[in-house]
Amino acid sequence: MPRIYFKTAEAYVDFAEGEEVNVLRMAIRENIDVPWQCASGNCGTDRLVVEDGAENLDPPRRRERARLGELVDEGYRLACQTYTRGDVTFSWDPDQVGLDDEPGSSSGGSRAGWAGTG
Amino acid sequence: MADLMSHSDFRVALEEAFSGTMAKDASFSRAWATGKLHKEHFVHWATNHYHYIGPFGDYLGLMYANTPDHARDAKDFLLQNMYEEELSDDRHTDLLIRFAEACGGTRAYVQDRNNAMPFAKGMQGWMYYVSGRENFVVSSAALIVGLESQVPSIYRTQYPTLINKYGFSEWEAEFFDLHITSDEIHGERGYQIVLKYADTPELQQRCLHYVREAADMRFAYTKALYQTYVEPDLGPWVEEDEREPALVG
Repeated sequence: MPRIYFKTAEAYVDFAEGEEVNVLRMAIRENIDVPWQCASGNCGTDRLVVEDGAENLDPPRRRERARLGELVDEGYRLACQTYTRGDVTFSWDPDQVGLDDEPGSSSGGSRAGWAGTG
Repeated sequence: MADLMSHSDFRVALEEAFSGTMAKDASFSRAWATGKLHKEHFVHWATNHYHYIGPFGDYLGLMYANTPDHARDAKDFLLQNMYEEELSDDRHTDLLIRFAEACGGTRAYVQDRNNAMPFAKGMQGWMYYVSGRENFVVSSAALIVGLESQVPSIYRTQYPTLINKYGFSEWEAEFFDLHITSDEIHGERGYQIVLKYADTPELQQRCLHYVREAADMRFAYTKALYQTYVEPDLGPWVEEDEREPALVG
């Protein structure tokens, strides 16, 4: 049975073989303390480091790429935007806040200026 | 009267309540996921969807007013859901209109209530009724578990078709991408609220009743989209594996 290991919380969730599940949904369902605020990929509070199993995740789509920017290349994913179909291990900073709320924040892609692109 | 179910048994009962009538399995959804629809069909879908979910902030506002102060987590969830629908980013109805415009429709056409099916107006009226008149936990079961939590299962099959077959850009199809993920979280939070606050056998049974009714409503509405707009062009819906060999392809 595939397993999502939330390393920082020392907790895991198993799910049925053949399923593809949303990472944040599974954390909320099992009361695992992953930091999050919004459900739209806007705030970036739920950014997680993929420690293992990246090959089992669906690729980041537009919203996640725009929010995380270069953090995607550093191995980060947003829990709310990420689906997995196999074993994966995540860690995070338990004190982290939204990307726009960090002191002197300029990391990650900004949502500003989205309208009208594409 | 049934006994009070445990949270785990009640969750299974909620999931089973709509498993047989999920809108992803209705003819319009199947025709969409398998690439049979034309862009003008999408304009009709967007128009009807606008009149069905356009007032979602209103529905949530009514539910908020019906939620007692002691259920602060439920009130906060409803408020956040409302904020995300309307203000946190692009307004969700604007994303819907963006998609309709990419299909050749116009904002004025989509927003004109006269262009919506009676079924869409019926959905809207039903949602106003349930959100305004029912106990907050029952309306949460109906609108969030019964309807909103279905959304990812519908759009996850439709979104790849929009990008890969029809050639829409991610920007044009953002309405779907956004709801695949946001409604996963809203749906799960809805489950948590219903599991926590449906704390009598009567409330649990009423929640199950309304989840079934919500699923039936959405299934009938989605089926009517096919019958109204697609059947005149493509004929009655038949699944690929049920077609006569001569008709396949």
